Amino acid sequence: MNVFRAILWKDLVTEWRQRDRVVAMGVFSLLVVVVLYLAAPPGIGRDAQQHVPGLLWVAFTFASILGLNRAFALELENDALAALAMASADRGFIFLGKATASFVLLAAVQAFTSLAFGMAFGIDFWPVLGPFAAVCGLGALGLCSVGTLFSAMAVRTTYREVMLPLLMLPLMVPVLLGAVRATEGLLADGVLPWPPIQLLLVTDAVFGIIAYLGFEAVLDE
Amino acid sequence: MLRARGLTRRFGPLVALRPLDLDVAAGETLAVLGPNGAGKSTLLRLIAGLARPSGGALSVGGAGRNRAAHRRQVGLIGHQTFLSPAMTVRENLLLAARLHGLGDAERRADRGLEALDLGDFRDRRASALSRGLAQRAAIARALVHDPALVLLDEPFTGLDPRAAERLRELLRELPGDGRSLLLVTHDLARAAELSERAIVLVRGHALPLDAAALASSEALRAAYPAAVRRLEAAA
Amino acid sequence: MNPSTAPGARLTAGVFYGLVVAWAIAAWNAPIDAVQGVIQKILYIHPPLAFGAYLGFGCTAVFGALYLWKGDDRWDRWALSSAEVGILLCTLMLITGPIWAKGTWGRWWSWDMRLTITLLQYLVYLAYLLLRGFTEGSERGARFAAVYGIAGMALIPLNYFAISLAGGRSIHPQNLGNGSLGAGMGLPFLLGVLMVLAGFAYLVVRRFEVARLRDAEALRAVEASRGEGAWAS
Repeated sequence: MNVFRAILWKDLVTEWRQRDRVVAMGVFSLLVVVVLYLAAPPGIGRDAQQHVPGLLWVAFTFASILGLNRAFALELENDALAALAMASADRGFIFLGKATASFVLLAAVQAFTSLAFGMAFGIDFWPVLGPFAAVCGLGALGLCSVGTLFSAMAVRTTYREVMLPLLMLPLMVPVLLGAVRATEGLLADGVLPWPPIQLLLVTDAVFGIIAYLGFEAVLDE
Repeated sequence: MLRARGLTRRFGPLVALRPLDLDVAAGETLAVLGPNGAGKSTLLRLIAGLARPSGGALSVGGAGRNRAAHRRQVGLIGHQTFLSPAMTVRENLLLAARLHGLGDAERRADRGLEALDLGDFRDRRASALSRGLAQRAAIARALVHDPALVLLDEPFTGLDPRAAERLRELLRELPGDGRSLLLVTHDLARAAELSERAIVLVRGHALPLDAAALASSEALRAAYPAAVRRLEAAA
Repeated sequence: MNPSTAPGARLTAGVFYGLVVAWAIAAWNAPIDAVQGVIQKILYIHPPLAFGAYLGFGCTAVFGALYLWKGDDRWDRWALSSAEVGILLCTLMLITGPIWAKGTWGRWWSWDMRLTITLLQYLVYLAYLLLRGFTEGSERGARFAAVYGIAGMALIPLNYFAISLAGGRSIHPQNLGNGSLGAGMGLPFLLGVLMVLAGFAYLVVRRFEVARLRDAEALRAVEASRGEGAWAS
């Protein structure tokens, strides 16, 4: 448990001092909002609620990939990754620390991006803020658990930055489908529909377990 | 302290380490010699628990197959410092202690700072350290959890004479606490001075040198090339 | 040395070729479907290919798990062979499917549930090969791929759940068990399934042998070069 907190603190403090991940993710999200707004079909104002969830989660996904790539890239300096590999504490906690740090950063970017989306497309998230945050959290959980595992792999491949989205995106389909449907339903009816949430919970659980267990094998040289 | 039987390491079809038998007792210092690319770093990283052996058995401090217990007893000082660049020296030591699940991280970190004379630099970021300071911080990091086995991969490289002297003194003190040392070095004089035993590695093949060869640096300077030639012929 | 000398190669080859002949005869003689016409005969190859492709993906995950557990290289070779054969069968499936679709629905592709899931799975396994190819260190690549293969297989049921959620509308023919097979169609279909299974075994065994030979050859080459004088540090 101590290890978890130590790693989480390390990543967040490093981010605070270097501020490269969050800034990159935030600026990127903003660009995505602008581009999508310009590319969106006419009448987006009226039918906004139909299209926004999909676009929003596309923005979240790409931002998360940016952040997750850096999660292990920063450990390459001074071979700090070996320091983690030589830890005698449970490697699962190292995984949890890393994944949670990415989750926190992604959550911050999600909040910022939702605000930008809301303003650009005239959507008011405020009335459904609680459930919306829950959906964002569940989606981010799926993205960060699998993403942390694959980031650790990608960092040892030849095409680091390209490898992560290649590995991650096909597996993120259930997460994205669930999140988008849940957001759609929430914005349309004001209530969270159960089937997509169920899908998110099951997917997060399955992938979370695989990522937690798989990390042990991935950290070895 | 360390027991290896038939230890091998392969990278796909490439065999970096032939079956190796090794015994290191507590308080002993073993020098690992050999030309570049012989497999010395590979051996050290295996013993550090960074990689799993491709074959054979390795037991550090009786840990056997318990990898966590194994890693708990080893400290590696390698070519890289393993320090997180954005964190201060003290924070790095705290992290290292916590990565071994140790509750008294603060005490250990402060002790490490003092032992390696890093007190003045405790709050300096690792990225802002000179090579000598970074080396000291790396050593403090490797020792923070009191490992019984300390692995050093060419630690004298790039050190100025004062820093080298400091390191030499440290290496003389460490075995006093019952710690075992594995020292990879190209410097035969230091190897003879600091170690009781040695093995020579060439292309993954190993050959032990007898104690007489380490009695003095002249003896080692004579014995080493002969050993290398023998191994090259066998390889 | 020749992959054909691998143990089991001759047996699987014999069984496979025999089944190909039997299947071809049965498919040729099967009655022509009243509604769909001749194109319906793709039924005798397309679903069997699907079955084979998913079998390949399942085997990749299982052999990968065994490799992680046992550490024996041979499991990794089986995993790689299964993945490659699975991808081959999946490619054929993604070719025969649109041919049949064009003949019956009038268009090559639709973002129908089953097609989308298969396409996604196909991409996962292509990524699997890329991961193996680009990881620095072949033993590490095998380990990473094993973990990825397991995640890839876990994806299959999750995707079915996910896409049934997305409406579940499908223009893809559903269960064949609903008696949609007319008289005289059962035999060629069964033979198709057996043929693909035999083909799967036949190809995997040979691919395994190729992998084994390649590793042995690479080892020999490395050993030979070590004997040559001074070498780079």
